[in-house]
Amino acid sequence: MSSKIPLVPENVKPLPRLSENEGMLSWVASVDHKQIGIMYLFSTLIFFIIGGLEALIIRIQLAQPEFNFISPEVYNQMFTMHGTTMIFFVVMPFLIGLGVYLVPLMIGARDMAFPRLNALSFWLVVLGGILLYYSFLTQSGPSEVGWFAYAPLSEKPFSLNKGPTYWALGLLATGISSVASGLNNIVTILTMRTPGMTMRRLPLFVWMILVTSFLLVFVIPIIASAFAMMLLDRLLEASFFTPAHGGSAILWQHFFWGFGHPEVYILVLPAFGIISEVVPVFSRKPIYGYEFVAGSTVAIGLLSLGVWAHHMFAVGLGNVTNLYFSLASMLIAIPTGVKVLNWVATMWGGKIWFATPMLFATAFIIEFVIAGLTGVAVASVPIDWVVTDSYFVVAHFHYALFGGSLFAIFAGIYYWFPKFTGKMMSETLGKWHFWLTVVGFNMTFFIQHFLGVMGMPRRTYTYHDFPYWGSMNLISTIGAIILAVSVIVFAWNIRRSLKHGEKASDNPWNAWTLEWYTTSPPAVHNFELVPPVRGRRPLWDLAHPDQLDEPNSKVV
Amino acid sequence: MENLGGLFNPSSPEMEAMAELTYYIIAISIGILAIIVVAVTYIIIRYRKQSGDNSEPYQNFGDLRLEIVWTVIPIAIVAVLFQLTCSTMKTIDPAVGNEDPDIVVIGHQWWWEFYYPKSGVLTANEMHIPAGKKMLLRIESIDVIHDFWIPELGPKIDAVPGHTNHLWFNASEEGVFLGACAEFCGTQHANMRIRVISESEEEFNKWQEQQLVVPRTPRYGKAGTGAELFQTKACMNCHTIKGTQAAARIGPDLTHLNRRQTIGAGVLTNSPENLAKWLTNPQKYKQGSLMPNMKLSDSEVEAIVAYLEGLK
Amino acid sequence: MANNKMLVGFFVASESIFFVMLILAYVNFHGTVTDGPTAVNSLDPLRTGIFSVFLLASSFTVWLAGRSLVSRNHFMLKIWLLVTIILGALFIYGQASEWLGLINQNITISRNVFGTTFFTLTGFHGFHVCVGLIMLSILLGLAMFGDFKGPKSDGVECVSIYWHFVDGVWIVVYSVIYLWAFF
Repeated sequence: MSSKIPLVPENVKPLPRLSENEGMLSWVASVDHKQIGIMYLFSTLIFFIIGGLEALIIRIQLAQPEFNFISPEVYNQMFTMHGTTMIFFVVMPFLIGLGVYLVPLMIGARDMAFPRLNALSFWLVVLGGILLYYSFLTQSGPSEVGWFAYAPLSEKPFSLNKGPTYWALGLLATGISSVASGLNNIVTILTMRTPGMTMRRLPLFVWMILVTSFLLVFVIPIIASAFAMMLLDRLLEASFFTPAHGGSAILWQHFFWGFGHPEVYILVLPAFGIISEVVPVFSRKPIYGYEFVAGSTVAIGLLSLGVWAHHMFAVGLGNVTNLYFSLASMLIAIPTGVKVLNWVATMWGGKIWFATPMLFATAFIIEFVIAGLTGVAVASVPIDWVVTDSYFVVAHFHYALFGGSLFAIFAGIYYWFPKFTGKMMSETLGKWHFWLTVVGFNMTFFIQHFLGVMGMPRRTYTYHDFPYWGSMNLISTIGAIILAVSVIVFAWNIRRSLKHGEKASDNPWNAWTLEWYTTSPPAVHNFELVPPVRGRRPLWDLAHPDQLDEPNSKVV
Repeated sequence: MENLGGLFNPSSPEMEAMAELTYYIIAISIGILAIIVVAVTYIIIRYRKQSGDNSEPYQNFGDLRLEIVWTVIPIAIVAVLFQLTCSTMKTIDPAVGNEDPDIVVIGHQWWWEFYYPKSGVLTANEMHIPAGKKMLLRIESIDVIHDFWIPELGPKIDAVPGHTNHLWFNASEEGVFLGACAEFCGTQHANMRIRVISESEEEFNKWQEQQLVVPRTPRYGKAGTGAELFQTKACMNCHTIKGTQAAARIGPDLTHLNRRQTIGAGVLTNSPENLAKWLTNPQKYKQGSLMPNMKLSDSEVEAIVAYLEGLK
Repeated sequence: MANNKMLVGFFVASESIFFVMLILAYVNFHGTVTDGPTAVNSLDPLRTGIFSVFLLASSFTVWLAGRSLVSRNHFMLKIWLLVTIILGALFIYGQASEWLGLINQNITISRNVFGTTFFTLTGFHGFHVCVGLIMLSILLGLAMFGDFKGPKSDGVECVSIYWHFVDGVWIVVYSVIYLWAFF
């Protein structure tokens, strides 16, 4: 029934086991993808709390009109660091780290193609974080020009503090890390799949990581070049982006958004992958329309490269340009919509168990549809002219990144925690976390759609006492405080489960992809033997030999 | 609804066109969201796993025809939406051609300069326009990127240094319309407010005439002292007052300050008490603003306030 | 075994995008300088062309090194690696002396957008050449210690791919900066 398939050769010296406590050095020096994956996940938790505190400070300052909780300079630093931290030090490294842990397991491999490069990627994220946050210790403090750092505000003579320099250096470090991860993923996925696992049988999470990796490899250089030019302007008096010396402020925006738009798909495609794994397992059915989910991912990846200037509709590029980008941006909604419909169709006719992972996955669908709809709205140029740079946009992207990516991340954590640690998370605390998050999140951000259309601009440290603005902002702040409580519950659940969680079996969710064939947590070498792969769900096929997913496939 | 402002009080034909498109999309969006919410709710109720039932349901892999249907329908919706987008854009942003602008808007950190080239009026932060007349604005910036936005009147457009933009601008009725800078431009981005006063044609012409009058510089009394202080303290290094030697453009033109409704680009209402507070320490009311604390004594503040409030 | 050539291939694709952006910046500003130094009045395409020939020749010699590897000619492998390094170093020398000449005339990265885009584009290319020279030197050193007996070596093949990439970039950069302005 199972076949002995030689994998990547074993190292001569056995690597330390996850369960053995051989101290910090075994972690710091590790090139094992599982240890590196855990280090990624753990460091994103720390940055998540820091970024969340920054958000809480922002919301407290906005709770009342003309409030004086913090100065305008500190406020501007807070929203700069909040955005930068959440994007580059929470969502990206979490999704990449999750891939680092899971991809080799899901494809039946021993490790990634380049384990040392993998370790380098992780430590570069740490270095980047240190560089970015070091700016808090300098006299002028962290960057205060926004995570988008528009020129010429980010250049001399308008920005004389060192903050943006540290910001750019920190992000260059993580950028190199991300390219390395992308390269590593591509080679791993293309060359190290166990026999029988054709591309058409790849788990959807792995598909999403593959497309994301191609995006990383091709768009990080865009922002790297922009940072290089910005640093040359700031440090050597070059004039790429300084109009006063012949440079172009708009060029910065093209470069930034040329990266920035594909970046948001980098932030969301692996999240789609998590959902595509969780929903079928908890619905007890295969994913509906696998080819369409995988194919639409490739379509999104390609289309995402050609829509960047929808962030620039108010810049004055000309209406022919604006209309092209408007149409392209609306079109990208279609493959995304196809995915959502396939997830719903997967649930239809199932026997759904609403454990915490599935709660978050179901909520994800609703929240992400809201994000997608407001996204299509702003893709229309005249509507964008009303709502861009207002709280409507803030609401839109938080629905996509929080209601979307973060909800999927939570689903993934609850789903794979037993596999990574050998312990189950508490369902009770999980449900508390879930409901507090749903209430807190929607309370914080739904009302911001209205604030935006009523005329409240974003990135403002205070606002005038217009009718209802104060009460609406206060509601939003209360929602943020509820979210803070939900994060405390979540962190408590993690800690408690690590210490006292119920022991987890190899496959507590009765799932079907290869990572569930290993022990919980997996042995250092992952698999003693890789089961035969003759379909998309190897463990289903093992358990149901009379009801194979692909009855006509030949045994490997 | 109107007092909610913004989209809920469209006060120009452009804004009405955009509001209409917005409501149309909101309606479609609510429809689509409703379908998904109803489907998911139904699923949660109907397809919940019953306790004790461990059998697997029918393993449905997909249906090509359904995939085609639910790909084609969104494409059709997008086509309609795009067509509406194009037609709305033609309405609100027709080509400019070679027309001369009626008002030149120049963004500064953190105030707005307004110049009327056809009459020669130069003012700051508060723009008067004749109601019902479509004006052409030319939008520029002298330092960083700003954005000119009056939510009830129309689309927003960036003020980009090194690049000129144009905006068709219109208020259907008389009234005061408030706006703000809508592109992050530094420390006091939040306090770079715009006031548009839309009035009848005669009142607008009267206003223009008043703005062109060069006020006489007082020589006696508190105001006279104030006028002298204005020249001797560093005020004239940043501000313009016509009829005097002060002709700098780093800060707003103050020639007719008395007629403005606010000071500091909307930070304080214009009154002698507020002006005194501002002059005593502008950093207290607009921290980070480019006007430093001039460390004026109380009597100096009194004198300058008397002078400036006399500038009608 | 890990597919090193695939890794280097995709890495080269990634770095190519980086150079495309720098080239786009150069192209964007080309012709916008009305008075002051520009490509046409500051550069010497003939002199730089000669040094470019050295660099292109080094692509040929590294290819010959690869052929020596395949035919297990260890001695010629070392020779061709050495010649490649010398040719590359000559290119860097030419680039450096060109830069010095410009800087002495006060044509610097901060002078105007021509200076900015010229020094950035040629500078990053030169940096990539230097990194390549370091890697080639490491190969040569290892070869002198007896490594790379052939017929295959991922190390030699991957560094060669990188070196060809660096040359390919220069062909584009030279065309955009030196040829386009003058013809």
